[in-house]
Amino acid sequence: MRKSILGLSAMLAFGASSFGQLIDEKDVTVTMDLQPVLQLEMSTSNQLEFVFDEISEYYSGITLYGATILKVSSTVSWDLYAVGRSNGTNGPEFWDQQLDYGSNNTNAIDDLPLSLLEIHQNQPNNGDAAAGAAAFSDYSQPFATTGAADAGNSLYVNGGTNTPPTAADKYIAGHSGTSGTAGQDFMPGGSYLTQTGTTSDYYYALDYRILPGLPAVFPNAADADGAPFEDIATANAAGNYAEPGVYTMYVQYILLEDQ
Amino acid sequence: MRIHPFIIAFSCLFLSLTSSGQIHCGAVNFEPNTAITADFIFDSFSQYQAGITVNNIGTLRIRVEDQAIPDPDCRWFLTMEVNNNPGGGTAISKWETLGTYGTGTTSPDIDIMEIRVRNACQTSPIDGTFQTFTNNGDITEIIADLLPRQNAGTCTTNVNGPGNHLTNYNEYVFTIDLKINPGFAFSPGIYQLSIRFHLEEQM
Repeated sequence: MRKSILGLSAMLAFGASSFGQLIDEKDVTVTMDLQPVLQLEMSTSNQLEFVFDEISEYYSGITLYGATILKVSSTVSWDLYAVGRSNGTNGPEFWDQQLDYGSNNTNAIDDLPLSLLEIHQNQPNNGDAAAGAAAFSDYSQPFATTGAADAGNSLYVNGGTNTPPTAADKYIAGHSGTSGTAGQDFMPGGSYLTQTGTTSDYYYALDYRILPGLPAVFPNAADADGAPFEDIATANAAGNYAEPGVYTMYVQYILLEDQ
Repeated sequence: MRIHPFIIAFSCLFLSLTSSGQIHCGAVNFEPNTAITADFIFDSFSQYQAGITVNNIGTLRIRVEDQAIPDPDCRWFLTMEVNNNPGGGTAISKWETLGTYGTGTTSPDIDIMEIRVRNACQTSPIDGTFQTFTNNGDITEIIADLLPRQNAGTCTTNVNGPGNHLTNYNEYVFTIDLKINPGFAFSPGIYQLSIRFHLEEQM
């Protein structure tokens, strides 16, 4: 009995050991570091001057066409917006007065709203489908003719900060929100290098206009969502006007991951 | 002592099973068998657009030896299998996420990675052709299983007999190339995959 069991056990053991084929393995571990790349290229001058020394220029304004060209390359979904800023000499939402002319008439106001600068982008924002609440979701509408106040192109300003616009404000491309659906509130990653042409969603030509009007109240100055108007007469008092002088401000273009 | 017929039948069946799993070769090895690591860093737009290709991230050097008494059935096969650490919660078709930049949560698909094996004799039917995987556990054969024996020395396809990288370099060394093209659809972050090369003698 014992011999039989031992014999059977030996056969089982032999059989079990016979299963082991020769095997070897080697591993390749691949690590991929996807670093976010957002590149905003501005190939045009970063200094623009508007000199108003003719009555016609006050009446009809001065327009600088194609003064800024913006080219985008991004590996992530993105939004692009412009925000008006200054050093805050006259307040966070006003131009900095560098020099004043004249006799400081009490009706001459030196607080010129940053939103008096108008922008026009060469093509519509194709990433703003979800911005239904915004009266003006971008700067693509043509500059309005003089004579009637229009807020469609007034520059976005937010208390002197560069905080992104809300759903009610203007973006150049993309918009507020993270729906996850391209075209709703963001532009997908890509580049002007591969999506070429002047109608590319990664290429924007921007025009600027300043329209003082007469008296010089800057009638198109307005909050970016269209209301309220911030022209000098509305923001101060009827009869007020812009104090002659030299003023400066800057426009900050911000390209950021969809937010 | 009389052995129960059931035990005899079971033993016969067991022996018949085990007899098909005999060792035919004396050794089946990668030399050396050190792990390979490859780091792909994408930090410019052009790299995202065109992808990054690294040729020869490593080589597979194979040694298959006969037993003391050579067995004509000593043959081997070679496969590669992708692994994304599913035990860590990785979705079946995604890279394993080690860390993220920003707020995105869209990890890359496994199939953005392409792998190519090659040698001078083009012994693999997929020699020189980039291959992709779709899901964790996908296997691609480099030298297929169950092929008849093809001895080394003639520089032909499917060489799977005994030999080694020292005597037949062009048939027993496989160079590995990797290409990754992430495009713009995935969230920035650090991701990982592994590819396991499996060398085994045929049953």
